[in-house]
Amino acid sequence: MFNEIIRSKWFGPSIVIFLILFILPLFIPRFYTYILALIYVTSLLAMSLNLVVGHGGMFQFHHGVFYGVGAYTVALMLKKTTLPMWTGFIAGPIVAAIIGLIIGWFCVRLTRLYFGMLQISLGSLIWVIVFRWYSFTGGDDGIPGIPMPPLLSSLKNSYYFILIMLVICLILMYMILKSPFGSTLQAIRDNPQRCEAIGINVRRYQLIAIVIATFFAGVAGVLFVVLERSVFTDLLFWVLSLEIFIMCLFGGWFTFAGPILGAAIIVALRTFVGIFTEYWTLILGIMLILLIFFLPEGVMGYFEKIFKPRTREAAEGGNR
Amino acid sequence: MDISAFSSQFLVGLSRAMILFIVCGGLSFVLGVLRVPNIAHGSLYMIGAFATFTLTKLIPGPVGFWIALIVAPLLVALISLIAERALFCHLYQREHLMLLLFTFAISLILGDLVKIVWGPEYRSVSPPALLKGSISIFGASLPRYNLFLIIIGPLVAIALWLFTNKTKIGKISRAAAVDREMVGVLGINVSWVFAVAFVIGCYLAGVGGALVAPTASIVLGMDHSLIIEAFLIVTIGGLGNMWGALVGSLIFGVTQSMGVLIWPQFTIVFPYVAVVVVLLLRPKGLLKSVW
Amino acid sequence: MLQVDSVVKSFDDFKAVNGATLAVEKGEIVAVIGPNGAGKTTLFNLITGALKRDKGRIIFKGEDISELPPYEICKKGISRSYQIVNIFPRLTVFRNVQVAVLSQQRRSKQLFRPAKNMVVKETNNILESVGLLDKTHSIAGSLSHGDQKILEIAIALGNEPELLILDEPTAGMSPEETSATMELIKRLAQMRGLTILFCEHDMDIVFSIAKSIMVMHQGRTLIQGKPEEVRNNPIVQEAYLGVE
Repeated sequence: MFNEIIRSKWFGPSIVIFLILFILPLFIPRFYTYILALIYVTSLLAMSLNLVVGHGGMFQFHHGVFYGVGAYTVALMLKKTTLPMWTGFIAGPIVAAIIGLIIGWFCVRLTRLYFGMLQISLGSLIWVIVFRWYSFTGGDDGIPGIPMPPLLSSLKNSYYFILIMLVICLILMYMILKSPFGSTLQAIRDNPQRCEAIGINVRRYQLIAIVIATFFAGVAGVLFVVLERSVFTDLLFWVLSLEIFIMCLFGGWFTFAGPILGAAIIVALRTFVGIFTEYWTLILGIMLILLIFFLPEGVMGYFEKIFKPRTREAAEGGNR
Repeated sequence: MDISAFSSQFLVGLSRAMILFIVCGGLSFVLGVLRVPNIAHGSLYMIGAFATFTLTKLIPGPVGFWIALIVAPLLVALISLIAERALFCHLYQREHLMLLLFTFAISLILGDLVKIVWGPEYRSVSPPALLKGSISIFGASLPRYNLFLIIIGPLVAIALWLFTNKTKIGKISRAAAVDREMVGVLGINVSWVFAVAFVIGCYLAGVGGALVAPTASIVLGMDHSLIIEAFLIVTIGGLGNMWGALVGSLIFGVTQSMGVLIWPQFTIVFPYVAVVVVLLLRPKGLLKSVW
Repeated sequence: MLQVDSVVKSFDDFKAVNGATLAVEKGEIVAVIGPNGAGKTTLFNLITGALKRDKGRIIFKGEDISELPPYEICKKGISRSYQIVNIFPRLTVFRNVQVAVLSQQRRSKQLFRPAKNMVVKETNNILESVGLLDKTHSIAGSLSHGDQKILEIAIALGNEPELLILDEPTAGMSPEETSATMELIKRLAQMRGLTILFCEHDMDIVFSIAKSIMVMHQGRTLIQGKPEEVRNNPIVQEAYLGVE
């Protein structure tokens, strides 16, 4: 598999980008380091969603729940227990994946819109319980001041930790998408009925994809806590889930790295537009409308169309 | 358990369910005809409430509220008509996911527009003199305004039923919900049918917002909390089914208010649990979906 | 090999299949004919598990498969192609077939090895035998209609079936493509020892290649027998072929 990665045409540029990102904190102001780290966390979250949406074709409308569950798990374990901190870091993604398995098991029995609506309702139940359980979860105040291991006490160290975890997760996701499982998942996206006919238990594969995706969402949740040292109920609210969806759309959901681009654009814009105006949501709404009308393939999809005309033109022509 | 507390809570729940029904009836109607869950529905509801506030401030005295009740929903309907004709109608050929994301974009924009026009403070509206105070029913004390809601709800239901079953446009909308191509083949302009259905649905959101104004604090974010409840109600009722919206609203409204008697801190959790239970048993909703 | 016994399937009040009986012997080429709406595709859907029958039994190699889901039935050795092209339009021709071969070899769940180099020989083998080897890296959605129908069959072959069900394999094809496809089917049946069950509207094809023909009308089986028997049968002539 590593031969596969090294020979891919993105390998060289990726190494260069990684090195640049690695040394960047030494030169740029703290604030930018923080923003970059936030972009990494959000990218991981968007990539995890795209596993099931762009590559799996499922209507995962409340993916944010698993992100929030991962974050709250590690937050509660670090703040309220005296267990070694690294157990919290491991528990976060695992609990997220377990919740993903439970919610996913009910959702895969339905298709499309019903899948999405059931997930929104199950996810909202979790949100509303966390929102109200003031004594345990801090309710709508959230949990501030979460302690971190000494190794991660500085922003720079947190940055490196997050960056390395992001790269590891991206490599894993790449391998998964290029594997037989990934191939089959994309076939399920394109034609689930045909997949059943060629011997694939579609529901089981979708469930496995959901568990993998929610595991990575849980990792993103843990990384959020590492960066922010706090958790809020917003992480579990449906608006965030739709925002991640938009990030995937923005970047291009049929490409591998599209969601990263989408996350970077949205986080960067939100931060910098937010300096000038408090009406970022308005701008996001307008951008989304422009995207829907003019760039439905997303930014990366659009560039792919320009640089690979043969393949995409053929695909467009065939699909008409 | 105190029977009067029980019945008073039940009636409060019932009145809340009526507002939910008016809003969800509109949402369900749009969902049925256009097959798109309109996320902007919550924002339009919010605009209805804020507009009611402004109108009652502009026109003092009890008549202000009644005028607001008529004008605010019309304003909401106008906004939805503009959004539909200018932008939405060009997307009808696209996949439903894109339409859904479009409605999300509109909700983001409208949400901030409300912030720009009205600012972030809480607003409130008091009920008109006719409906102030409480009345005694079955030994329970019920605010007059809530009784008003309990009466209005079924009236709206009847009006909606008459519209969809007895008027030409209503029947065409129902047909378009089931088979839009066929309706097009019959020479009817499907785009206009969608426009009418969308505007009517949004009008109802405005009515709901106007009606809720005297009972709750009018605040930014009420669009978000409402739309999630509305989605859940419409899902458990059966997508596109107006009676399903009624059933769902009743379940939601009553479980929430009864929850106060059982576990006050978690009263808001009860309707969500009820929704989850319904969906696990009947994932496609209690009543038949329109499609 | 395959035995369908008095199968019934209704949709609300409409009886799509109302007593269909079929027998397919190993190695045979059997055709099902009948006017549009006779229930042929529904019958195929029932056999492959895409629909559940209301009454009757479907037995394959001695085993009752009436209750099995489609992916289990595929593993038993039944594969099918569809009347309306049902491929993976966004994937390449190669991956279309590869995904079926991977499924056949139970390797679809592997997570951490690249799929690119797996089962290449077997996949290319199939593509070569149907004549699509020169188009392996084209996007399936961009192929001509005729080629897509052939890809249909190639995907079905990926599962190394014993029984291959073809639903109107030459629908929408030009006469040249049609005879080429039928030649291909005959060749494949011989080379791979396949049993073939198909349905078609083109009577010339049916009578030239099928060993046994089952006639359906309004969801029922009228008769099943050798081509001459069917051609000369008065009931069939009246109902379907038109009295000569």
